[in-house]
Formats: sequence, C-alpha cells, structure tokens
Amino acid sequence: MDLDFSPVLDSWQYLLRGVGLTLALSFLTMLCSLVIGGAIGLARCYGPQSLRWPLVFYIDSMRSVPVLVVLVWTYFALPLITGVVLPPFWAALIALSAHIAAYVAEIVRAGVSSIRPGQTRAAFALGMSRAQTIRTIVLPQALVRMLPAFGSILSITIKDTAIAAVIAVPEYMNRSQTVAGQSFHPIEIFTVAMAVYFIILFPVTRVVDMVYVRLAYLGRS
Amino acid sequence: MNFDWSVVWRNADVLVEGTELTILLAVTTMVIAIPGGILLALMRLSGVRALSSTSACFVELFRNLPLILVIYTAYYVLPVATGLSFSPITTAIVALSLNVSAYNGETFRAGIASIRQGQSEAAYALGMTRWQTTREIVLPQAVRRVLPVLASTWVSLFKDTSLVSVISVGELAYTSMRIRAQTYRVLEMLTAMAAIYWLLGYPQAKLVDWINRRYAVNE
Amino acid sequence: MSAITATEENATPRKGSGAPPVLLYRDVRKHFGAFIAVSGVSMEVRKGEVVCLIGPSGSGKSTLLRCTNGLELIDGGEIALDGELLPRNWEGMRRVRQRMGMVFQNFELFPHKTALGNVSIGPMTVLRLSRAEAEQRAKAMLDKVGLADKIASYPAQLSGGQQQRVAIARALAMEPEVMLFDEPTSALDPETIGEVLNVMKRLAEEGMTMIVVTHEMTFARHVGDWVVVMDRGAIIEQGPPEQIFDSPTVERTRDFLSHLGWSG
Repeated sequence: MDLDFSPVLDSWQYLLRGVGLTLALSFLTMLCSLVIGGAIGLARCYGPQSLRWPLVFYIDSMRSVPVLVVLVWTYFALPLITGVVLPPFWAALIALSAHIAAYVAEIVRAGVSSIRPGQTRAAFALGMSRAQTIRTIVLPQALVRMLPAFGSILSITIKDTAIAAVIAVPEYMNRSQTVAGQSFHPIEIFTVAMAVYFIILFPVTRVVDMVYVRLAYLGRS
Repeated sequence: MNFDWSVVWRNADVLVEGTELTILLAVTTMVIAIPGGILLALMRLSGVRALSSTSACFVELFRNLPLILVIYTAYYVLPVATGLSFSPITTAIVALSLNVSAYNGETFRAGIASIRQGQSEAAYALGMTRWQTTREIVLPQAVRRVLPVLASTWVSLFKDTSLVSVISVGELAYTSMRIRAQTYRVLEMLTAMAAIYWLLGYPQAKLVDWINRRYAVNE
Repeated sequence: MSAITATEENATPRKGSGAPPVLLYRDVRKHFGAFIAVSGVSMEVRKGEVVCLIGPSGSGKSTLLRCTNGLELIDGGEIALDGELLPRNWEGMRRVRQRMGMVFQNFELFPHKTALGNVSIGPMTVLRLSRAEAEQRAKAMLDKVGLADKIASYPAQLSGGQQQRVAIARALAMEPEVMLFDEPTSALDPETIGEVLNVMKRLAEEGMTMIVVTHEMTFARHVGDWVVVMDRGAIIEQGPPEQIFDSPTVERTRDFLSHLGWSG
C-alpha cells in the first residue's frame, strides 16, 4: 500500500481551521454543560421536591438517547417546531450541551452526596447557615472529588464534537471527510485525523489526573 | 405546517428490522469485547513487558479516539490492509469491538487490581498455580466488581451503534433517516427515532442504576 | 549457629532434639530496596515444636515467615525443609508450599465460597482429589475446629473468630508438615481470640510443628516450646519460654516485654 500524504499538506490550513472549530465547540459546550448541569445537580440536591421528577426525567432521557439522535433532531426537527432555523454550529452547541449537562448533573449530585453528613453537622454546630455551609464546606470538597469525572466529561465532549460532522458543522472530522472525498486518499487523511485527535485527547485525561493527585487531599474527609 | 404521524406506523416493519439490527450489533460486539477486555487486562497485569505495553497502548489508543472516526477509518483501511472485502456490518462490528474491548480492558484491569493481594497470597499458600489462582479466586471476585461498569458500558454501546449509520449499516438510526429522506416527513421520523431509542434505552438506564445499587462494593 | 544464646545449656533440652530439624534457617537475609527486613537470621524448628516469634512491629517476624513458604524470596542465606534447600523458583516453591499451611492475620477467606468451599478448594485444585473426597476431608477439618454446623455459611456470615478457624481448617486440609501462623489473632475482637487460641493449642498438643508470629504472650509462654525474639531484622534472643519470659538475658527483650505490660 503506497501512501500519499500530500493532500493533507495541501489542505493543511483548511484542516487546521477545522481543528480550531473542534476546540471552540468543545470549550463552549463544556462551559454551557457545566453551568446548566451544575445548576440541575444542585437543584436535585437542594431544590424543592416538585422539581425532582422533571429533572430526573430529563437526566435519564439524555442517558437513554444517542448523541447522534439529539444532534440530528435539534438541527433538522427543532426548527420545524420553533420556526427558527439554526446554523449547524449553534444547533450542535445546543444539542451537545443539553446532552452532556445531564451527565454533569449526575456527577454534581453524586459528588455532593458523597460528603458525609457529619461535615454539615459540624458546620451547623459552629453556627453556619445552610447557604454558608454549602458554599464553604460542602462544595469545595465536592468539587475536588468531581475533578476526575469532569476530566472524563471533557474527553467525551471533544469526541462527541466529531459526531457534529454529521450535521455539517465544519469542524475537523467534517473537513477531513471533505478532503478525503476530494482527494481519494481517505486512509492518509483519516490516519492523520486519528493522530490529531489522539494528541488532543491524550493529554486531557493525563493533566486532569495530575491535577487531581495534587489536590485530592483537599477533598478527603 | 401539517404533520403526518401515520408515516411511522406505515413503516413500522422496517423500523423493527432496524431495531433488531441495532440489538444484534450491540450483542455481537459485547460477546467479542468481554473476552477481549479480559485478555487485555490479563496482558496488562502480566509481568511480561511486551504484553503489558502492547495492552496499555491499545487501550490508550482506542480510549482517546472518537468512535465515529474509528468507524470511518475501519471502513477505508480494512479492505486495503487485508485485501479482503468487508461488508459494512462486519466493518461496524470490528470498529465497535476494538473500541469496547479497550474500555473493557481498563474496566477489568481495575477490577482485578482491586482484589486484595492477600487473596492471591492465600491461594499461593495452599499451593495453587498462578493460573489456578486467577481462575478460581481473582476472576470470580473481579467479575462481581466490574458488573456495574460493564452494565454502563453496555448502555453506551447500545447508543453508539447509531454511529455506524454513517457507513450505511441498516440499524435503527440509518433506517429512520432513510425513511425521512424518502418521505420528507422530517419531524415525524426523527421524533419517532428518538422515541424508539428512548423506549429501549430508558429501562436499560434504570437497570444499570439497580445493578449499581445491588452490587455496590463495600470492603 | 551464633544466634543461639549461652543459656541454652542450662535449660531443659529442646523438644525433638536428636532428630534433624524440620526447618533450618542459616543466615537468612531479605531486603526491600534499601530497607533491610531480615538481616542474618539463623535458627531451627524441630519436629512437633511450637516456635513463637515475638518482637516489636517491623522486626522482620512476618517477613521471615513469608520467606519460609516462598511468598517472599530470600536475598541471602539458606532455608532448608527436612534437610533440602528451598528452591529459588516459583514452581519449585509452589510444590513446597503444599507441605506448609499458612494462616493470615486477616483470614483471607475467599468471600465467594462457603466455608466448605474454602476448605475443599485446596485439596481439589492442588491435590487433585475428587469433589466428594475433598468435601469429606473438608467436613472433617471443619468439625475439628468446631464449625461443623457452618459448612454452608459464607465468610460474610461468620464472626472473625469463626473465619479464622475456617482459615485454619483450610490450611489443615492440605495435611501440611508445618503450620505457619502470621499474627492469627491480631485482627480479632478480644472475645473471639480465645476460641482461635484453643484450636491452636489443641493442634500443638496433637504434635503439629508450628511457627507462630504473635503478640499473645500468654500463648507463647504456655503453649510455646521455643521463643525467638526479633528486633530490627535480627534475633536478639531465643530460648525456652521460661527463660525468655521469666529471666531474659538481653536488655532489649526486657524492654519489649515491659512495654507490652508483661509482668511475668
């Protein structure tokens, strides 16, 4: 098998901009998911009972349905209901954030519940209010414990942006497909794509692990 | 805007076929990926440098690649690398199996490593060989530990089968979207697709929760 | 044999003297990286003797025991069983392990097997007995340790003392020549220590050769035939229990015993 990597080199700027979009979409999705998912997770722990059922339903639904389905539905079907046409990037952002926020919510809920009741009791015994206790005692410890899980969510987010290629978001996967289709050298293009994604993803979990190892003692009680 | 939901019922038989293929893909992949994962874990935990490095590299590679990319690459590389022609379904199973085996490899490795060393020592003290110890003492306990994680992996796999639609494998996602293209009933078909996945996936997610509660390990 | 102290000539003769020792340790050394766990230990274990290894934590007692059945491989010196040097390879040691039984501090019963399963797995997989024969032997052993009614129980359903007795039965089922006990009662509640020590005492009375690493000084004083005191990897004193406990000759032994509250 003789390989010809020149199509990659010829289109490197085009592909690089695709990588940029992959990173941008990942970063924005992560941000939105953390905010939305964090809110939902905290609402499940500390919010009114009436909210629990719809939130649990939402979380479990997102766990049951594939990302591809959420992406495709958001891009093609949602506009038919709302009348608003979404550009691919924004449809992907909404779909991915909604999907991943559910996982974040679960992580937040699990992290907060892992803090022993003795910790809150000790805080109350000192005279702290509920809000103060949550803010200064529970959340800081819980956040440290959640770090590895967040690292893995970041990794999943970056991988899921590749699926957005299916709804024509011009990120790296999509652009690799385009170049592969035009140059008839799919093997070389996709091999490079694998290398690029690996180089992006491999450090993500490693760095999170390293940071966690240094900070883990803060969350141990 | 008028919606015609009857398109779903009219194509029900095709959708059922797609669902069957989804289930078949998931089951076949898991049947390959569980022994695959155990093998990778044993390689990683063996003292042999060559085996454990190979296993570690394999696992790290597939855990750090988007599955959709692996599917595409398999589609193009397999025929060229082996000189044989592969049906899309076979390609799909290969790509899914490689991916899930890697995850299972890590799951089993962590599960086996979590079995206290004293257990192996007690077995050695009785005169058991390393293989007897692994087979009779370590693996049975590890399986119990990994069950919750395997259940989660299964649910993810079930959802990930939708990705093989990109190489035209006729599972549920591909089938739904093909009917959409043929009938122009976008909202109806895509909603039906989501609903069917939801109906199949929701009970599975709840089952995973139950397994997690039941098999939670407390030392 | 430089580690044997001078007072030995005055004491009662050692049990089994005249016959060659079951276990012979000559200048045994073991280190973990830079840490020297056992530094030049020489001693004997005679047939039918109960040898008690006592000393502060980290003195190398457990390590020496684990070197005896090859869970650790020694770095220097020799250990001989019935006159034959212990092999240095895993497979060779595996055969030797069948002739020794070991009881661990935290029992290490196999949680996924019943008491009967735990005791019969050794004879079945290692000695290749049939299931029926192995289970028959297992029942006899469990009866011997007083747990005939618990054969179908899982370890999680048993108390600590009961689990340790099952562990003893498991080791006995292999019909070993020597029984090695690594702090068998250290992880037990005070109420259950007695039942385990009683089983060990009966084993001793039946003539089993035993090496016991223990902090139970009463046991060592009354059941032990020979006491070896270790500190920081070396033997500082060894002799019959009367000498060690009633009139130790070495300062560090006296310190150690008084720290434990031993008033003789």
